[in-house]
Amino acid sequence: MRELGAQVAGDYEGLDPVLVAPLKGSLFFVADLSRAIRAVHELDFVELAGYGGAAPGGHEHVRLLKDLNAPIEGRHVLVVEDVVDTGLTLNYLRKLLELRQPASLGIATLLDRPYRRLVDDLPVRYVGFVVPDEYFVGYGFDLDERHRNLPELRVAEFRRT
Amino acid sequence: MTPVPARSAQTPRFANDAERECARLLDFYGVPWEYEPRTFALTEGEDGRVTEAFTPDFYLPEQDLYVEVTVMKQTLVTRKNRKLRKLRARYPNVRIKLFYRRDIERLAQRFRLDFAR
Repeated sequence: MRELGAQVAGDYEGLDPVLVAPLKGSLFFVADLSRAIRAVHELDFVELAGYGGAAPGGHEHVRLLKDLNAPIEGRHVLVVEDVVDTGLTLNYLRKLLELRQPASLGIATLLDRPYRRLVDDLPVRYVGFVVPDEYFVGYGFDLDERHRNLPELRVAEFRRT
Repeated sequence: MTPVPARSAQTPRFANDAERECARLLDFYGVPWEYEPRTFALTEGEDGRVTEAFTPDFYLPEQDLYVEVTVMKQTLVTRKNRKLRKLRARYPNVRIKLFYRRDIERLAQRFRLDFAR
């Protein structure tokens, strides 16, 4: 975290960036990363409705549940994500934020699975760990909204019924 | 302002539930797609006739990427992987990836999806 924080602080020195964290998975990561960045910056949050498949009550298209609190036009934006897999969610968020004309838009992710990527032109500039194709819980990662509070990342195992 | 999600013009007849779910997923995130738009010849006989071909399930024009959906476990996709290797060898400029059940499950954040196996 210190390494990532130092990198970000060096790259964004004097640029007063906005760290944008999609809720809720990145909550703990952005809290730690923000404290590790020894440079002035702002924090803001968005929340997207997750994909629910064909489940009753599911949404047909992705939509914002919570928008940014402040405009980002002309600002340097760093999206702080918990994990990048296919890149579909981030691709949507990137398009959404780019419409607001930030000065720059980069991505920091705690975990990365680049081998799962469908959208591979994302501006992922900072990666904590490239991880194997396992499902993680803890440190913000949930299973049915639980276990986010576990202080460390754990690999979840599933038994199919 | 929200980007307008893209949707393919007509809903095709999908081969299985996983393909249908994949199309729904792409629509959800506003990623344009085409269903089985191209068949790639992999091998030909001495008479020039195609003896093996491969038709990827989806083409994503914005990514210039073909996607093959598999409902099988990753350890059981040897045959598909062999075809993908052949395709990549013969068409090195064509980008193709396997899209696993797990990818959909992760995005769906559900773990009891009942896809056709």
